[in-house]
Amino acid sequence: MADTLPVSIPGDSNSSLLQNAFVEVGHFQLCKHNQNAPGDVFLSQKNPSDGRVITTLSDGLGSGIKAGVLATLTATMATKFISYNIPIRRVSEIIMDTLPVCSERGISYATFTLVDIAPDATVKIMEYDNPPYTFIRGEAVIEPSKEATAFERRDKSTGPKNDTRVLYSRFNAAIGDRLVFFSDGVSQAGMGTKRYPFGWTTAKAREFALGSVREKPEISARELARSIVRQASQIDMSKPKDDISCGVIYFRQPRDMLVVTGPPIRPESDKEIVNIFSSFVGKKVVSGGTTATIIGRELNRGIKVNMKSFVKNVPPWSEMEGADMVTEGIITLGAVQAMLEKRNEVEANTGGMDAASRMIDLFLDSDRITFIVGTKINEAHQDPTMPVELEIRRNVIKRIASLLKEKYLKEVQIRYF
Amino acid sequence: MKKHTVNICTGTTCFVMGGSELLLLDELLPDDLKDVIEIKGSPCIGICKNADYGKAQADHAPFVQIDGEVVDEASIQKVVDHLRRLNA
Repeated sequence: MADTLPVSIPGDSNSSLLQNAFVEVGHFQLCKHNQNAPGDVFLSQKNPSDGRVITTLSDGLGSGIKAGVLATLTATMATKFISYNIPIRRVSEIIMDTLPVCSERGISYATFTLVDIAPDATVKIMEYDNPPYTFIRGEAVIEPSKEATAFERRDKSTGPKNDTRVLYSRFNAAIGDRLVFFSDGVSQAGMGTKRYPFGWTTAKAREFALGSVREKPEISARELARSIVRQASQIDMSKPKDDISCGVIYFRQPRDMLVVTGPPIRPESDKEIVNIFSSFVGKKVVSGGTTATIIGRELNRGIKVNMKSFVKNVPPWSEMEGADMVTEGIITLGAVQAMLEKRNEVEANTGGMDAASRMIDLFLDSDRITFIVGTKINEAHQDPTMPVELEIRRNVIKRIASLLKEKYLKEVQIRYF
Repeated sequence: MKKHTVNICTGTTCFVMGGSELLLLDELLPDDLKDVIEIKGSPCIGICKNADYGKAQADHAPFVQIDGEVVDEASIQKVVDHLRRLNA
Protein backbone atom coordinates (compact mmCIF):
# COMPACT_ATOMS: atom_id res chain seq x y z
CA MET A 1 0.00 0.00 0.00
CA ALA A 2 0.91 3.68 0.04
CA ASP A 3 3.74 3.41 2.56
CA THR A 4 5.53 0.64 0.71
CA LEU A 5 5.99 2.62 -2.51
CA PRO A 6 9.64 2.53 -3.55
CA VAL A 7 11.54 5.80 -3.48
CA SER A 8 12.24 6.88 -7.02
CA ILE A 9 14.49 9.62 -8.27
CA PRO A 10 13.05 11.53 -11.21
CA GLY A 11 15.19 11.29 -14.32
CA ASP A 12 17.13 8.32 -13.04
CA SER A 13 16.81 5.80 -15.80
CA ASN A 14 17.75 3.02 -13.46
CA SER A 15 15.10 3.89 -10.90
CA SER A 16 12.77 1.25 -9.57
CA LEU A 17 9.83 3.24 -10.93
CA LEU A 18 8.33 0.22 -12.56
CA GLN A 19 8.57 -1.98 -9.50
CA ASN A 20 5.05 -1.05 -8.63
CA ALA A 21 3.72 -0.61 -12.14
CA PHE A 22 1.11 -2.87 -13.51
CA VAL A 23 1.76 -4.39 -16.90
CA GLU A 24 -1.61 -4.53 -18.61
CA VAL A 25 -1.70 -6.87 -21.57
CA GLY A 26 -4.70 -6.52 -23.85
CA HIS A 27 -5.48 -8.03 -27.19
CA PHE A 28 -8.28 -8.27 -29.69
CA GLN A 29 -8.76 -10.31 -32.81
CA LEU A 30 -11.12 -10.82 -35.72
CA CYS A 31 -10.99 -13.79 -38.11
CA LYS A 32 -10.72 -13.53 -41.86
CA HIS A 33 -14.18 -13.27 -43.37
CA ASN A 34 -15.84 -16.71 -43.63
CA GLN A 35 -13.20 -18.37 -41.46
CA ASN A 36 -14.20 -19.64 -38.06
CA ALA A 37 -10.73 -20.31 -36.70
CA PRO A 38 -8.08 -17.66 -36.30
CA GLY A 39 -4.70 -18.12 -38.02
CA ASP A 40 -3.15 -15.54 -35.69
CA VAL A 41 -2.35 -16.62 -32.17
CA PHE A 42 -1.80 -14.41 -29.18
CA LEU A 43 -0.23 -15.89 -26.04
CA SER A 44 0.65 -14.19 -22.81
CA GLN A 45 2.02 -15.57 -19.58
CA LYS A 46 3.51 -14.36 -16.36
CA ASN A 47 6.41 -16.46 -15.10
CA PRO A 48 5.70 -17.23 -11.45
CA SER A 49 9.41 -17.87 -10.79
CA ASP A 50 10.96 -14.61 -11.99
CA GLY A 51 7.93 -12.35 -12.55
CA ARG A 52 8.63 -11.81 -16.26
CA VAL A 53 5.66 -11.17 -18.54
CA ILE A 54 6.12 -12.87 -21.91
CA THR A 55 3.72 -12.11 -24.74
CA THR A 56 3.78 -13.48 -28.27
CA LEU A 57 1.74 -12.71 -31.36
CA SER A 58 2.22 -15.18 -34.17
CA ASP A 59 0.71 -15.14 -37.64
CA GLY A 60 0.64 -18.48 -39.45
CA LEU A 61 0.97 -18.85 -43.20
CA GLY A 62 -2.47 -18.70 -44.83
CA SER A 63 -5.61 -18.66 -42.72
CA GLY A 64 -7.92 -21.01 -40.86
CA ILE A 65 -6.91 -24.18 -39.02
CA LYS A 66 -3.64 -24.76 -40.89
CA ALA A 67 -2.43 -21.26 -40.12
CA GLY A 68 -3.69 -21.65 -36.58
CA VAL A 69 -1.55 -24.76 -36.08
CA LEU A 70 1.58 -23.04 -37.40
CA ALA A 71 0.94 -19.96 -35.30
CA THR A 72 0.09 -21.95 -32.15
CA LEU A 73 3.27 -24.01 -32.47
CA THR A 74 5.36 -20.91 -33.04
CA ALA A 75 3.82 -18.85 -30.25
CA THR A 76 3.96 -21.72 -27.75
CA MET A 77 7.56 -22.64 -28.53
CA ALA A 78 8.73 -19.04 -28.55
CA THR A 79 7.01 -18.24 -25.25
CA LYS A 80 8.24 -21.38 -23.48
CA PHE A 81 11.82 -21.27 -24.77
CA ILE A 82 12.23 -17.59 -23.96
CA SER A 83 10.82 -18.15 -20.48
CA TYR A 84 13.55 -20.80 -20.01
CA ASN A 85 16.18 -18.27 -21.17
CA ILE A 86 17.19 -20.17 -24.30
CA PRO A 87 19.00 -17.74 -26.65
CA ILE A 88 16.74 -16.22 -29.28
CA ARG A 89 18.92 -17.41 -32.16
CA ARG A 90 18.55 -21.01 -31.02
CA VAL A 91 14.82 -20.49 -30.45
CA SER A 92 14.32 -19.26 -34.00
CA GLU A 93 16.28 -22.21 -35.38
CA ILE A 94 14.24 -24.75 -33.44
CA ILE A 95 10.97 -23.15 -34.52
CA MET A 96 11.93 -23.05 -38.18
CA ASP A 97 13.08 -26.66 -38.11
CA THR A 98 9.94 -27.85 -36.35
CA LEU A 99 7.09 -26.22 -38.22
CA PRO A 100 5.23 -28.57 -40.56
CA VAL A 101 5.57 -27.79 -44.25
CA CYS A 102 2.51 -26.41 -46.05
CA SER A 103 1.38 -28.94 -48.66
CA GLU A 104 0.35 -26.27 -51.17
CA ARG A 105 3.26 -23.92 -50.95
CA GLY A 106 6.02 -26.32 -49.91
CA ILE A 107 7.26 -23.97 -47.19
CA SER A 108 6.75 -23.70 -43.48
CA TYR A 109 6.31 -20.29 -42.07
CA ALA A 110 4.84 -18.29 -39.24
CA THR A 111 5.82 -14.78 -38.25
CA PHE A 112 6.02 -13.62 -34.68
CA THR A 113 6.54 -10.70 -32.33
CA LEU A 114 7.72 -11.66 -28.87
CA VAL A 115 7.81 -9.21 -25.96
CA ASP A 116 9.71 -10.19 -22.83
CA ILE A 117 9.25 -7.81 -19.89
CA ALA A 118 11.41 -8.23 -16.79
CA PRO A 119 10.20 -6.97 -13.41
CA ASP A 120 12.88 -4.24 -13.52
CA ALA A 121 11.19 -2.76 -16.63
CA THR A 122 13.71 -4.05 -19.13
CA VAL A 123 11.80 -4.85 -22.29
CA LYS A 124 13.27 -7.18 -24.91
CA ILE A 125 11.49 -7.58 -28.21
CA MET A 126 12.09 -10.08 -30.97
CA GLU A 127 10.38 -9.60 -34.29
CA TYR A 128 10.20 -11.89 -37.22
CA ASP A 129 8.39 -10.58 -40.28
CA ASN A 130 5.37 -9.08 -38.50
CA PRO A 131 4.72 -5.37 -39.08
CA PRO A 132 7.09 -3.42 -36.77
CA TYR A 133 5.82 -2.73 -33.27
CA THR A 134 5.02 0.78 -32.08
CA PHE A 135 6.46 2.15 -28.87
CA ILE A 136 4.44 5.08 -27.54
CA ARG A 137 5.82 7.22 -24.73
CA GLY A 138 3.49 10.02 -23.65
CA GLU A 139 1.97 11.12 -26.93
CA ALA A 140 4.92 10.40 -29.19
CA VAL A 141 6.20 7.38 -31.05
CA ILE A 142 9.76 6.41 -30.19
CA GLU A 143 11.87 4.24 -32.47
CA PRO A 144 14.23 2.03 -30.46
CA SER A 145 17.27 0.84 -32.38
CA LYS A 146 17.00 -2.69 -33.69
CA GLU A 147 19.69 -5.24 -34.32
CA ALA A 148 19.18 -7.76 -37.11
CA THR A 149 20.30 -11.36 -36.80
CA ALA A 150 20.21 -13.58 -39.86
CA PHE A 151 20.08 -17.34 -39.57
CA GLU A 152 19.65 -20.29 -41.82
CA ARG A 153 17.44 -23.30 -41.46
CA ARG A 154 18.72 -26.80 -41.86
CA ASP A 155 16.42 -27.60 -44.75
CA LYS A 156 16.65 -24.57 -47.03
CA SER A 157 14.00 -25.85 -49.44
CA THR A 158 11.20 -25.35 -46.93
CA GLY A 159 12.14 -21.79 -46.07
CA PRO A 160 10.57 -18.72 -47.60
CA LYS A 161 12.54 -17.21 -50.47
CA ASN A 162 13.78 -14.15 -48.64
CA ASP A 163 16.43 -14.23 -45.89
CA THR A 164 15.33 -15.05 -42.40
CA ARG A 165 16.10 -12.09 -40.19
CA VAL A 166 15.09 -11.61 -36.61
CA LEU A 167 15.06 -8.05 -35.29
CA TYR A 168 16.07 -7.61 -31.71
CA SER A 169 15.53 -4.51 -29.58
CA ARG A 170 15.84 -3.68 -25.93
CA PHE A 171 14.90 -0.67 -23.81
CA ASN A 172 13.66 0.35 -20.39
CA ALA A 173 9.99 1.14 -20.02
CA ALA A 174 8.51 3.79 -17.75
CA ILE A 175 5.04 4.28 -16.36
CA GLY A 176 2.70 5.50 -19.09
CA ASP A 177 4.52 3.71 -21.93
CA ARG A 178 2.60 1.61 -24.42
CA LEU A 179 3.61 -1.06 -26.91
CA VAL A 180 1.34 -1.76 -29.85
CA PHE A 181 1.90 -4.67 -32.21
CA PHE A 182 -0.30 -6.22 -34.82
CA SER A 183 -0.49 -8.79 -37.59
CA ASP A 184 -0.40 -7.76 -41.25
CA GLY A 185 -4.20 -8.03 -41.25
CA VAL A 186 -4.04 -4.54 -39.71
CA SER A 187 -1.38 -2.93 -41.90
CA GLN A 188 -2.76 -4.46 -45.12
CA ALA A 189 -6.43 -3.78 -44.36
CA GLY A 190 -8.22 -2.38 -47.39
CA MET A 191 -5.34 -3.20 -49.73
CA GLY A 192 -6.21 -2.72 -53.37
CA THR A 193 -9.10 -0.38 -52.70
CA LYS A 194 -9.09 3.07 -54.24
CA ARG A 195 -8.61 4.77 -50.91
CA TYR A 196 -5.93 2.39 -49.62
CA PRO A 197 -4.08 0.96 -52.63
CA PHE A 198 -1.27 -0.29 -50.37
CA GLY A 199 -3.46 -1.04 -47.40
CA TRP A 200 -3.97 0.94 -44.22
CA THR A 201 -0.17 0.73 -43.65
CA THR A 202 1.72 0.53 -40.39
CA ALA A 203 2.29 4.28 -40.49
CA LYS A 204 -1.43 5.07 -40.65
CA ALA A 205 -2.29 2.46 -38.02
CA ARG A 206 0.32 4.12 -35.78
CA GLU A 207 -1.24 7.51 -36.34
CA PHE A 208 -4.60 6.05 -35.40
CA ALA A 209 -3.18 4.51 -32.20
CA LEU A 210 -1.51 7.79 -31.32
CA GLY A 211 -4.74 9.67 -32.00
CA SER A 212 -6.64 7.32 -29.68
CA VAL A 213 -4.06 7.91 -26.93
CA ARG A 214 -4.24 11.70 -27.39
CA GLU A 215 -8.00 11.62 -27.26
CA LYS A 216 -8.07 9.41 -24.17
CA PRO A 217 -4.72 9.43 -22.35
CA GLU A 218 -5.87 6.75 -19.89
CA ILE A 219 -7.16 4.35 -22.57
CA SER A 220 -6.66 0.77 -21.39
CA ALA A 221 -4.66 -1.81 -23.35
CA ARG A 222 -7.76 -3.85 -24.10
CA GLU A 223 -9.71 -0.81 -25.35
CA LEU A 224 -6.86 0.38 -27.57
CA ALA A 225 -6.33 -3.10 -29.09
CA ARG A 226 -10.06 -3.38 -29.72
CA SER A 227 -10.35 0.02 -31.39
CA ILE A 228 -7.37 -0.61 -33.70
CA VAL A 229 -8.82 -3.96 -34.82
CA ARG A 230 -12.28 -2.44 -35.30
CA GLN A 231 -10.83 0.35 -37.40
CA ALA A 232 -8.88 -2.09 -39.59
CA SER A 233 -11.99 -4.20 -40.04
CA GLN A 234 -13.97 -1.14 -41.05
CA ILE A 235 -11.35 -0.32 -43.69
CA ASP A 236 -11.84 -3.89 -44.93
CA MET A 237 -15.58 -3.10 -45.26
CA SER A 238 -16.24 -5.30 -42.19
CA LYS A 239 -15.27 -8.38 -44.25
CA PRO A 240 -11.66 -8.88 -43.15
CA LYS A 241 -9.44 -10.23 -45.95
CA ASP A 242 -7.06 -11.69 -43.39
CA ASP A 243 -7.05 -12.36 -39.66
CA ILE A 244 -6.81 -9.03 -37.88
CA SER A 245 -5.04 -9.13 -34.51
CA CYS A 246 -3.62 -6.49 -32.26
CA GLY A 247 -1.85 -6.69 -28.91
CA VAL A 248 -1.23 -3.73 -26.62
CA ILE A 249 0.91 -3.59 -23.50
CA TYR A 250 0.36 -0.68 -21.17
CA PHE A 251 2.72 0.07 -18.28
CA ARG A 252 0.65 1.91 -15.79
CA GLN A 253 0.02 2.85 -12.23
CA PRO A 254 -2.01 -0.05 -10.86
CA ARG A 255 -5.66 0.67 -10.16
CA ASP A 256 -6.56 -0.56 -6.71
CA MET A 257 -9.86 -1.71 -5.33
CA LEU A 258 -10.90 -2.63 -1.80
CA VAL A 259 -13.82 -4.80 -0.76
CA VAL A 260 -14.65 -4.83 2.94
CA THR A 261 -17.07 -7.56 3.91
CA GLY A 262 -18.17 -9.07 7.19
CA PRO A 263 -17.77 -8.02 10.80
CA PRO A 264 -14.53 -9.16 12.50
CA ILE A 265 -14.48 -11.94 15.08
CA ARG A 266 -13.14 -9.54 17.68
CA PRO A 267 -15.02 -6.22 17.95
CA GLU A 268 -11.68 -4.55 18.79
CA SER A 269 -10.75 -5.00 15.13
CA ASP A 270 -13.57 -2.68 14.01
CA LYS A 271 -11.30 0.37 14.28
CA GLU A 272 -8.48 -1.29 12.31
CA ILE A 273 -10.84 -2.22 9.48
CA VAL A 274 -12.26 1.29 9.42
CA ASN A 275 -8.70 2.69 9.27
CA ILE A 276 -7.83 0.47 6.32
CA PHE A 277 -11.03 1.59 4.63
CA SER A 278 -10.51 5.32 5.10
CA SER A 279 -6.81 5.36 4.20
CA PHE A 280 -7.19 3.21 1.09
CA VAL A 281 -6.55 4.94 -2.22
CA GLY A 282 -8.72 3.49 -4.98
CA LYS A 283 -12.21 2.12 -5.51
CA LYS A 284 -13.99 1.02 -2.32
CA VAL A 285 -16.92 -1.30 -1.83
CA VAL A 286 -18.56 -2.29 1.44
CA SER A 287 -20.49 -5.54 1.20
CA GLY A 288 -22.67 -6.46 4.14
CA GLY A 289 -25.24 -4.66 6.29
CA THR A 290 -23.41 -5.06 9.58
CA THR A 291 -20.10 -4.07 8.01
CA ALA A 292 -21.69 -0.95 6.52
CA THR A 293 -23.23 -0.11 9.89
CA ILE A 294 -19.82 -0.42 11.61
CA ILE A 295 -18.10 1.82 9.06
CA GLY A 296 -20.99 4.31 8.99
CA ARG A 297 -20.97 4.48 12.78
CA GLU A 298 -17.19 4.90 13.16
CA LEU A 299 -16.96 7.54 10.43
CA ASN A 300 -20.30 9.10 11.29
CA ARG A 301 -21.66 8.72 7.79
CA GLY A 302 -25.21 8.06 6.65
CA ILE A 303 -26.15 5.21 4.32
CA LYS A 304 -28.82 5.80 1.71
CA VAL A 305 -30.43 2.85 -0.06
CA ASN A 306 -31.00 3.31 -3.77
CA MET A 307 -34.46 1.74 -3.93
CA LYS A 308 -34.54 1.43 -7.71
CA SER A 309 -31.31 -0.53 -7.99
CA PHE A 310 -32.45 -4.05 -7.19
CA VAL A 311 -33.20 -7.00 -9.45
CA LYS A 312 -35.01 -10.20 -8.61
CA ASN A 313 -32.12 -11.99 -6.92
CA VAL A 314 -29.92 -9.14 -5.81
CA PRO A 315 -30.81 -6.65 -3.06
CA PRO A 316 -30.40 -2.94 -3.81
CA TRP A 317 -27.12 -1.13 -3.23
CA SER A 318 -26.67 1.97 -1.12
CA GLU A 319 -24.63 5.12 -1.15
CA MET A 320 -22.24 6.26 1.53
CA GLU A 321 -19.76 9.10 1.42
CA GLY A 322 -16.26 7.76 0.78
CA ALA A 323 -17.44 4.47 -0.74
CA ASP A 324 -18.11 3.72 -4.39
CA MET A 325 -20.89 1.39 -3.37
CA VAL A 326 -22.40 -0.28 -0.32
CA THR A 327 -24.16 -3.60 -0.88
CA GLU A 328 -25.91 -6.33 1.03
CA GLY A 329 -23.48 -9.16 1.80
CA ILE A 330 -23.83 -12.81 1.01
CA ILE A 331 -26.64 -12.83 -1.59
CA THR A 332 -24.90 -10.15 -3.62
CA LEU A 333 -21.51 -11.88 -3.34
CA GLY A 334 -23.12 -15.18 -4.33
CA ALA A 335 -24.60 -13.50 -7.42
CA VAL A 336 -21.21 -11.96 -8.23
CA GLN A 337 -19.57 -15.38 -8.00
CA ALA A 338 -22.21 -17.00 -10.24
CA MET A 339 -21.88 -14.24 -12.84
CA LEU A 340 -18.08 -14.36 -12.84
CA GLU A 341 -18.24 -18.13 -13.39
CA LYS A 342 -20.79 -17.93 -16.18
CA ARG A 343 -19.42 -15.08 -18.26
CA ASN A 344 -17.41 -15.96 -21.33
CA GLU A 345 -16.47 -12.40 -22.06
CA VAL A 346 -13.62 -11.58 -19.70
CA GLU A 347 -12.92 -8.07 -20.92
CA ALA A 348 -16.11 -6.14 -21.61
CA ASN A 349 -18.03 -4.55 -18.76
CA THR A 350 -21.54 -5.73 -17.89
CA GLY A 351 -23.01 -2.24 -17.85
CA GLY A 352 -25.70 -3.50 -15.43
CA MET A 353 -27.06 -1.24 -12.71
CA ASP A 354 -27.71 -3.83 -9.99
CA ALA A 355 -25.23 -4.35 -7.15
CA ALA A 356 -23.67 -7.55 -8.54
CA SER A 357 -23.13 -6.17 -12.07
CA ARG A 358 -21.69 -2.95 -10.70
CA MET A 359 -19.30 -4.86 -8.46
CA ILE A 360 -18.11 -6.92 -11.44
CA ASP A 361 -17.55 -3.77 -13.50
CA LEU A 362 -15.50 -2.30 -10.66
CA PHE A 363 -13.44 -5.52 -10.56
CA LEU A 364 -12.86 -5.41 -14.32
CA ASP A 365 -11.68 -1.81 -14.11
CA SER A 366 -9.14 -2.63 -11.40
CA ASP A 367 -5.76 -4.38 -11.46
CA ARG A 368 -5.20 -5.16 -7.80
CA ILE A 369 -8.06 -6.14 -5.56
CA THR A 370 -7.86 -6.45 -1.79
CA PHE A 371 -10.54 -8.22 0.22
CA ILE A 372 -10.86 -7.47 3.92
CA VAL A 373 -12.95 -10.34 5.24
CA GLY A 374 -14.46 -10.41 8.71
CA THR A 375 -15.13 -14.00 9.68
CA LYS A 376 -17.76 -13.58 12.39
CA ILE A 377 -20.62 -15.97 11.71
CA ASN A 378 -23.97 -14.24 11.32
CA GLU A 379 -26.17 -15.99 13.89
CA ALA A 380 -29.36 -14.94 12.08
CA HIS A 381 -28.26 -17.03 9.08
CA GLN A 382 -27.83 -20.15 11.21
CA ASP A 383 -31.58 -20.41 11.74
CA PRO A 384 -32.68 -23.76 10.25
CA THR A 385 -35.67 -22.08 8.60
CA MET A 386 -33.36 -19.94 6.44
CA PRO A 387 -32.82 -20.90 2.81
CA VAL A 388 -29.78 -23.15 2.30
CA GLU A 389 -28.19 -20.96 -0.38
CA LEU A 390 -26.85 -18.64 2.31
CA GLU A 391 -23.22 -19.66 2.02
CA ILE A 392 -20.33 -18.99 4.33
CA ARG A 393 -18.80 -15.68 3.35
CA ARG A 394 -15.22 -16.88 3.50
CA ASN A 395 -15.85 -19.63 0.94
CA VAL A 396 -17.64 -17.31 -1.47
CA ILE A 397 -14.82 -14.75 -1.26
CA LYS A 398 -12.24 -17.49 -1.83
CA ARG A 399 -14.05 -18.57 -4.99
CA ILE A 400 -14.46 -15.01 -6.25
CA ALA A 401 -10.76 -14.39 -5.58
CA SER A 402 -9.60 -17.46 -7.50
CA LEU A 403 -11.90 -16.60 -10.43
CA LEU A 404 -10.51 -13.06 -10.54
CA LYS A 405 -6.97 -14.43 -10.47
CA GLU A 406 -7.27 -17.29 -12.92
CA LYS A 407 -9.95 -16.20 -15.35
CA TYR A 408 -9.62 -12.43 -15.17
CA LEU A 409 -5.86 -12.22 -14.43
CA LYS A 410 -6.19 -9.80 -11.51
CA GLU A 411 -3.83 -9.55 -8.58
CA VAL A 412 -5.84 -10.49 -5.52
CA GLN A 413 -5.08 -10.33 -1.83
CA ILE A 414 -7.32 -11.51 1.02
CA ARG A 415 -6.92 -10.50 4.66
CA TYR A 416 -9.02 -12.12 7.37
CA PHE A 417 -10.10 -10.49 10.59
CA MET B 1 -52.65 14.59 6.26
CA LYS B 2 -49.51 13.55 8.08
CA LYS B 3 -46.96 11.64 6.04
CA HIS B 4 -45.96 8.20 7.24
CA THR B 5 -42.53 6.72 6.72
CA VAL B 6 -42.11 3.09 5.69
CA ASN B 7 -38.57 1.82 6.15
CA ILE B 8 -37.95 -1.52 4.43
CA CYS B 9 -35.04 -3.60 5.63
CA THR B 10 -32.88 -4.72 2.65
CA GLY B 11 -30.57 -6.90 4.73
CA THR B 12 -29.82 -10.50 3.84
CA THR B 13 -32.30 -12.19 6.17
CA CYS B 14 -35.22 -9.95 5.25
CA PHE B 15 -34.45 -10.10 1.54
CA VAL B 16 -34.51 -13.91 1.39
CA MET B 17 -37.52 -14.16 3.71
CA GLY B 18 -39.75 -12.15 1.36
CA GLY B 19 -38.37 -8.63 1.58
CA SER B 20 -37.50 -8.67 -2.11
CA GLU B 21 -41.23 -8.39 -2.88
CA LEU B 22 -41.70 -5.60 -0.37
CA LEU B 23 -39.31 -3.51 -2.45
CA LEU B 24 -42.08 -3.33 -5.04
CA LEU B 25 -44.36 -1.62 -2.48
CA ASP B 26 -43.90 1.66 -4.30
CA GLU B 27 -45.57 0.26 -7.44
CA LEU B 28 -48.25 -1.82 -5.72
CA LEU B 29 -49.52 0.80 -3.30
CA PRO B 30 -53.24 1.63 -3.60
CA ASP B 31 -53.86 5.14 -4.97
CA ASP B 32 -55.32 6.52 -1.74
CA LEU B 33 -52.07 5.81 0.12
CA LYS B 34 -49.64 6.95 -2.56
CA ASP B 35 -49.39 10.55 -1.40
CA VAL B 36 -49.30 9.94 2.32
CA ILE B 37 -46.33 7.65 2.67
CA GLU B 38 -42.64 7.91 2.07
CA ILE B 39 -40.81 4.68 1.27
CA LYS B 40 -37.19 4.26 2.28
CA GLY B 41 -34.78 1.36 2.38
CA SER B 42 -32.22 0.54 4.99
CA PRO B 43 -29.24 -1.79 5.25
CA CYS B 44 -29.89 -4.52 7.83
CA ILE B 45 -31.75 -2.86 10.73
CA GLY B 46 -30.50 -5.64 13.00
CA ILE B 47 -33.84 -6.88 14.32
CA CYS B 48 -33.20 -10.42 13.04
CA LYS B 49 -30.38 -10.92 15.54
CA ASN B 50 -31.58 -8.80 18.43
CA ALA B 51 -33.11 -10.80 21.27
CA ASP B 52 -34.54 -7.60 22.78
CA TYR B 53 -37.29 -7.64 20.18
CA GLY B 54 -38.78 -10.66 21.89
CA LYS B 55 -40.45 -12.90 19.36
CA ALA B 56 -39.08 -10.82 16.52
CA GLN B 57 -36.26 -13.13 15.43
CA ALA B 58 -34.92 -14.31 12.10
CA ASP B 59 -37.87 -16.57 11.35
CA HIS B 60 -40.21 -13.60 11.71
CA ALA B 61 -38.47 -11.67 8.96
CA PRO B 62 -38.96 -9.66 6.80
CA PHE B 63 -39.12 -6.55 8.92
CA VAL B 64 -40.45 -3.13 8.09
CA GLN B 65 -40.57 -0.06 10.29
CA ILE B 66 -43.61 2.17 9.95
CA ASP B 67 -42.99 5.48 11.69
CA GLY B 68 -40.38 3.62 13.70
CA GLU B 69 -42.71 0.84 14.82
CA VAL B 70 -41.52 -2.65 13.85
CA VAL B 71 -43.84 -4.76 11.68
CA ASP B 72 -42.71 -8.38 11.48
CA GLU B 73 -43.50 -11.03 8.87
CA ALA B 74 -44.27 -8.08 6.66
CA SER B 75 -46.08 -8.45 3.37
CA ILE B 76 -47.44 -5.81 1.04
CA GLN B 77 -50.95 -6.56 2.38
CA LYS B 78 -49.84 -6.31 6.00
CA VAL B 79 -48.09 -3.01 5.42
CA VAL B 80 -51.10 -1.61 3.55
CA ASP B 81 -53.46 -2.73 6.35
CA HIS B 82 -51.20 -1.13 8.95
CA LEU B 83 -51.12 2.13 7.01
CA ARG B 84 -54.91 2.11 6.62
CA ARG B 85 -55.27 1.75 10.37
CA LEU B 86 -52.93 4.69 10.94
CA ASN B 87 -54.81 6.74 8.42
CA ALA B 88 -58.31 5.88 9.61
